[in-house]
Amino acid sequence: MDKYEKLEKVGEGTYGKVYKAKEKATGQLVALKKTRLEMDEEGVPPTALREVSLLQMLSQSIYIVRLLSVEHVDKTPKSATATAAAAASKPLLYLVFEYLDTDLKKFIDSHRKGPNPRPLPPSLVQSFLFQLCKGVAHCHSHGVLHRDLKPQNLLLDQQKGILKIADLGLGRAFTVPLKSYTHEIVTLWYRAPEVLLGSAHYSTGVDMWSVGCIFAEMVRRQALFPGDSEFQQLLHIFRLLGTPTEEQWPGVTSLRDWHVYPRWESQNLARAVPSLGPEGTDLLSKMLRYNPAERISAKAALDHPYFDSLDKSQF
Amino acid sequence: MEFDLENPLENFQEHHSDAVSFLFLIESDHIPSQNYLQSLQTRDFDVSVRREVVSLISQFSCSFEQVLSYLAINYLDRFLANQGILQPKPWALRLLAVSCFSLAAKMMKTEFSISDIQGDGGIIFEAQTIQRMEALILGALQWRMRSITPFSFIPFFINLFRLNDPTLKQVLKDRATDIILKSQREIKLLEFKPSIIAASALLSASHELLPFLYPCFLIAVSDCYYINKESILQCYNVIQDVAIQGYESVFNMVASSDTPMNVLDHHFLSSESEITNGTTAAATALGLEKDLKRRKISDHGNNRTVQISQTQQYCLTDRARNI
Repeated sequence: MDKYEKLEKVGEGTYGKVYKAKEKATGQLVALKKTRLEMDEEGVPPTALREVSLLQMLSQSIYIVRLLSVEHVDKTPKSATATAAAAASKPLLYLVFEYLDTDLKKFIDSHRKGPNPRPLPPSLVQSFLFQLCKGVAHCHSHGVLHRDLKPQNLLLDQQKGILKIADLGLGRAFTVPLKSYTHEIVTLWYRAPEVLLGSAHYSTGVDMWSVGCIFAEMVRRQALFPGDSEFQQLLHIFRLLGTPTEEQWPGVTSLRDWHVYPRWESQNLARAVPSLGPEGTDLLSKMLRYNPAERISAKAALDHPYFDSLDKSQF
Repeated sequence: MEFDLENPLENFQEHHSDAVSFLFLIESDHIPSQNYLQSLQTRDFDVSVRREVVSLISQFSCSFEQVLSYLAINYLDRFLANQGILQPKPWALRLLAVSCFSLAAKMMKTEFSISDIQGDGGIIFEAQTIQRMEALILGALQWRMRSITPFSFIPFFINLFRLNDPTLKQVLKDRATDIILKSQREIKLLEFKPSIIAASALLSASHELLPFLYPCFLIAVSDCYYINKESILQCYNVIQDVAIQGYESVFNMVASSDTPMNVLDHHFLSSESEITNGTTAAATALGLEKDLKRRKISDHGNNRTVQISQTQQYCLTDRARNI
């Protein structure tokens, strides 16, 4: 790790602290993510091995934040005896990512607050959403769910107008916590109803729900469903889209955390995103279908008429 | 998050064109650098070190799937290319072999314990030592452990051949797999990309097993957008040598052995291949190689005529379309 000079802590990723750092030799800025590696008697755990290598491979897509290298730090003091060393060893894994200076949350904030509040240009919303769907399709076609898509996790290269997905979901070796390990509450705003209702099996639909919420947020410049508890989160969703019924979503009332909720009628979605045209609203409604099986896939979304006016050759 | 060599990325969808182009795009990250081959060719010493570790890995793998040793040797080559040859001391080579094997076994979810492979060689390493070596290898390989190997491209190329008969596909695939496994010892192949090796092995297999179809397979592969025709031809020549060496060693083994079973086998096979005619030599050699293979070949031999005329038709219509 001597190769890098830590500059500042830039945040708490889902899996640990994130630092902005500089590679000493090249001056290149990088993002360092620190993760603890739970070693067992047989060395590097197989799950970590398989997952980090998957991340390594997926990140070679231009829509995913690039994993530049993986640094394995073994803190065992050299003088210790073998048994003492095994007990004391706390190997760390630093994931070294390319550094991008802003994310979609900061970008939206800068358009809402500050000296010059203004909507995001519709063509930019279209372009960002397209790139987001491309990245999500890439992950899904390789069997990987992100599971925590949110504007903070979408990094931007403002000059080039490029959006990249960060903090890709790792599966079993690094379980997604409800609270990050500094007890900062993980945001629920982008969480799909089936997750909130405790469904045991969920799939690519959870990411598409998040994509829908992010799409609406780019248009509105504020979150679509800003709940502060799992219950409140569901009520936010139900108030806009109507309380789901068995007809709309077979099996919903038998999900683990289903309760009896007030029966709201669905509102007109277009009113929640007034500046979005009919095609955009149609795409949004397909991303926010209650029944996960009916929700549009990332790949199908790329072919939606909403993107017809986009110059796709640039991607 | 499973991993198998035919499917290095999870749930890889065969017909998903983006996923295919992605494989071709990143395959070069999973092979040793070009300098590696040069240094192996110019300095005899390095070759013997590689040979030594390769044979240790093969020993460890004998009771496991063969692809496991293929993966471990892929790690070995990439590690040596990155780090240069380590101290050529027996313990260092053994440690390297144990660690490459252990990493490959973990990636492939093989049930095994380090102690299984440590007993016979005299030197027993502590867990801590193996861990350090694993970490060293992981660092050198940049944790790119989902190696893209020739096996990853077999489904893609077989689909190009448009064979409708699943048995025929399987036979071709099995033989190509054999050739790929065998060819890993040949250092000349280190200069080719995995996709090129896969295509060449399939062509070589089809040349033996379905010689009528070979010309249109060759066209299909040469027309493939991702493939460099010259590399294919060069690689094919090397692969052919490897495949033939295979027969020679089998024949030698038979010739030098007095075991009655082999002699019977041989006799049985020759009479069988006389009946099927056409690909006599190939069928004989294959049959000698493995009982399993022989069964497959003779199985599909029963209705071979029908299949071949069918596939020939595809081939002809394909060519007509191209013209």
